[in-house]
Amino acid sequence: MLRLLLPVLFPSWRFFSSIGPSPRIHIAFLDKVDQIPTEWIEFRPLPEFISVKKGLWRLVHNPQWNETLFVNTCAEHLFEAHSRMREQEIMWRILRAIHSGEINHTAEAKFVTYRICALIREGATVTQTTTFIARPAMITVALGKSNGESC
Amino acid sequence: MLAEQAIRASEIILAVAYVQQSAEFIRGLSPEKLWGYIRLILSLLLLCNVQPLFVELGLFVIACILLQRFQGPYCGGSDCMSILVLLCLLLAHAAPTLFWQEVVLGYLAFQLTFSYFQSGYIKIINADWRSGCALHDVFFITAYPVSQHARTWANSRRLLFLMSWAVMLFELLFPLSLLNHYALIMALVVAASFHLANACLFGLNRFFWIWLAAYPIILWFQGRLMSG
Repeated sequence: MLRLLLPVLFPSWRFFSSIGPSPRIHIAFLDKVDQIPTEWIEFRPLPEFISVKKGLWRLVHNPQWNETLFVNTCAEHLFEAHSRMREQEIMWRILRAIHSGEINHTAEAKFVTYRICALIREGATVTQTTTFIARPAMITVALGKSNGESC
Repeated sequence: MLAEQAIRASEIILAVAYVQQSAEFIRGLSPEKLWGYIRLILSLLLLCNVQPLFVELGLFVIACILLQRFQGPYCGGSDCMSILVLLCLLLAHAAPTLFWQEVVLGYLAFQLTFSYFQSGYIKIINADWRSGCALHDVFFITAYPVSQHARTWANSRRLLFLMSWAVMLFELLFPLSLLNHYALIMALVVAASFHLANACLFGLNRFFWIWLAAYPIILWFQGRLMSG
């Protein structure tokens, strides 16, 4: 606990000290657990525009965006080293987005996986590299019972 | 401003910030949802000034549970500042003497000042920030811009250069505002506007509310410094 608490009590305020690889998360639906994913879709793509009214409301209440920032933090940790906990955190949130109807899927799709890509600018070129592909999880898994345990 | 007034003003803003954060957790997954409900109740009690010492102790325990749950802060710097404000207010209530109360409040004022200064320092020593490239990258490749429209700010190179220097100079010079009461008020208005802009452009809404919570303490601290 002290390991977690000390950096909070003696924080380092290095906001945007350097702009490193930026994560992007894509998901893919699978009919079978061992299927090779072919079609990836971006998880929570940016809206074109946020109206002033919506912007003001999001100043007060914006749970989905803050969850997405947390997912990105988990993805950045996975750039450095594998963590089962971080991998599952992202999967749980994807599963919840599917269960809530935020993400649609076909009836045949039984599993979902995700990949993390790193966007890096080198000079004038921006490259995108896949750094991590998660173990597929059953879409029908009950979040409340198993917290989205992957296969 | 008296220390007691600053503590109470800070507690009211902290309670509002925690209500805001708790309402977001309530929309989340099961474990954090439960803690969100409990924290919401405690935050409302803090807002009404009911047993602040024990309520803040309860909020601190929940903050530790959430730190453990997410293996670190859920929302980066805003969670760090939330816990810091909470703990300093809690210790200010529990302090055995006025001296120790002033020490913990002084620590919070120092961290608030340092949050701006260090943030400005690490930027100005980076050539990418001095050229405006870093802020261009923030808009162009990071996941922070809230919409595709916000991302197009990356094309305004001259504006980003000016914004980079405005942010760096403001953050670096912030500690000097402690020398004068009105300068500090002006600096806090600018700082709050900066957090508001970050909330609008990058969706960092929690930062806006929680940094405000520390402002009454720095106003008290400045008065205490000047009075000797």
